[in-house]
Amino acid sequence: MKIKKFLLILIFSFLSNTQISFADEAKMIKGLEIFNETAGCAACHVLKAAASEGNIGPNLDTVEGLSYESVMDIVTHGLGVMPAFGEDEILTKGEIDIVSFYVANSVGK
Amino acid sequence: MRKNKTKLNMNRRNFLTGTAALAGMAATASVVPITIANANHTEGKKGLPDFISWKDRDALIVHSDKGIETHRSAIGESLVTPNRNIYIRNNMPTMTDEQIGNRMDWKVSIEGVKNPKTFTIAQLQKLGHETMATILQCSGNGRGFFKHKPRGSQWKTGAAACVLWTGVPMKTVVNACGGINGDTVYMTSAGVDHVPTGLDPKKAMIERSVPKKVFKDAMLAWEMNGVPLPNAHGGPLRMVTPGYFGINNVKHLGKVAFTTSESSVKYMKKSYRISPIGKKGSQYPSCWEMPVKSWITRPTDETGTVKAGKVQIVGVAMGGTKKIRSVKVSVDGGSSWKKAKFIGPNLGKYAWRQFVLETTLSAGTYNIASLASNGSDKQPELRMENRRGYAHNGWKDHSVNITVV
Repeated sequence: MKIKKFLLILIFSFLSNTQISFADEAKMIKGLEIFNETAGCAACHVLKAAASEGNIGPNLDTVEGLSYESVMDIVTHGLGVMPAFGEDEILTKGEIDIVSFYVANSVGK
Repeated sequence: MRKNKTKLNMNRRNFLTGTAALAGMAATASVVPITIANANHTEGKKGLPDFISWKDRDALIVHSDKGIETHRSAIGESLVTPNRNIYIRNNMPTMTDEQIGNRMDWKVSIEGVKNPKTFTIAQLQKLGHETMATILQCSGNGRGFFKHKPRGSQWKTGAAACVLWTGVPMKTVVNACGGINGDTVYMTSAGVDHVPTGLDPKKAMIERSVPKKVFKDAMLAWEMNGVPLPNAHGGPLRMVTPGYFGINNVKHLGKVAFTTSESSVKYMKKSYRISPIGKKGSQYPSCWEMPVKSWITRPTDETGTVKAGKVQIVGVAMGGTKKIRSVKVSVDGGSSWKKAKFIGPNLGKYAWRQFVLETTLSAGTYNIASLASNGSDKQPELRMENRRGYAHNGWKDHSVNITVV
């Protein structure tokens, strides 16, 4: 009985993780699309994972301490010449969440 | 996580060919270029971007390829900061030799004067010649101490340098143009480094207005610490506005105009405004005059173990737009202070002065702080909280903890 319970937990845990992984994968693909096309981040930033070569803003692979939160903050409010994609409603909150997730999980890869 | 390389490259090609018809693209087409400026910031051999591969990597903290700070202990103990150690903060990509062309043919137009003229560097060099020392300091130097983590590079002390500039005094240039128009309020300098990017000049041009009076001590500089002004620092020609934050020292200078109103570009109206946390707008003060400030450069946690006995506590102090008058040093977190001695040559009120306090320390831990005064103002204990983390001169955050053994 104990073994059955353990196996059930194991299977459930595997499925849960797999679902998260699938969700993340979808988010990464959508994030890439936003990065390269919808928002056009690629025009201004280098990000090796996206094969982008923009040279206006910093090379994202070199930005120290870059995180989901810090990307989301800058994408929302802008910085210098970078537009405030959230404040100016260029991107939706959902798109900002996705592209921030994508960038935070792509830097240095 | 799997990288979808095929899709990535395909998307990039679509982007490069300008498939701007996509739904969200219309919104961004006005704010980003379709053409991409050539990247000149691939990682160099020493872990620095190519455009500054000549710098000393060991002296620098890389926050990003466009935000590079000097280590606290590497700003130079000979007063002037060596070029190879000087910080980098560029809002626009550094112009390349190809974009600049023949340096002597570089042009700057002078407007808002009786006889507007355009000068090449070769012509400026016939007008006059002077060398002066000023402090170059990013408005956000010290941002890394703010607890609310403002956006931007998290500088501590190293977005600052003391530099010897050679060029022609702005006063000489103004005289050659017959003097300033009578109704002028500002001197407005514009860089041309946004041009190769294709971005909207209103959003990308570095154009900064400062009060007209600044022209009296300003300089159009073509040389920095004895060498032609490096492209990475705004070569071949840069406006130097002594006592004013770095952003006003406009790089790749293409125009100086004496104007009745402040520039309307984003970098003047919206950016570099010192506003309360949570607020922003052009009604708040611009990053203009630098406040009085000092910090310890040795010993620090970067300079290794300190042996008990006689210790030389060394640092730099600046008066902003006024002459620095005095510096006091504390080894007990500000409970007591001793007057430090200025050392080295005095290169004028816009340069920093080095100071030293010789003291005896026994084994233990110490908080070392410095407190500078220019006669009118002295450093506050605490930072002035503000949204973007500008103009930090509080002595407490700038203090260092050391262990003596």
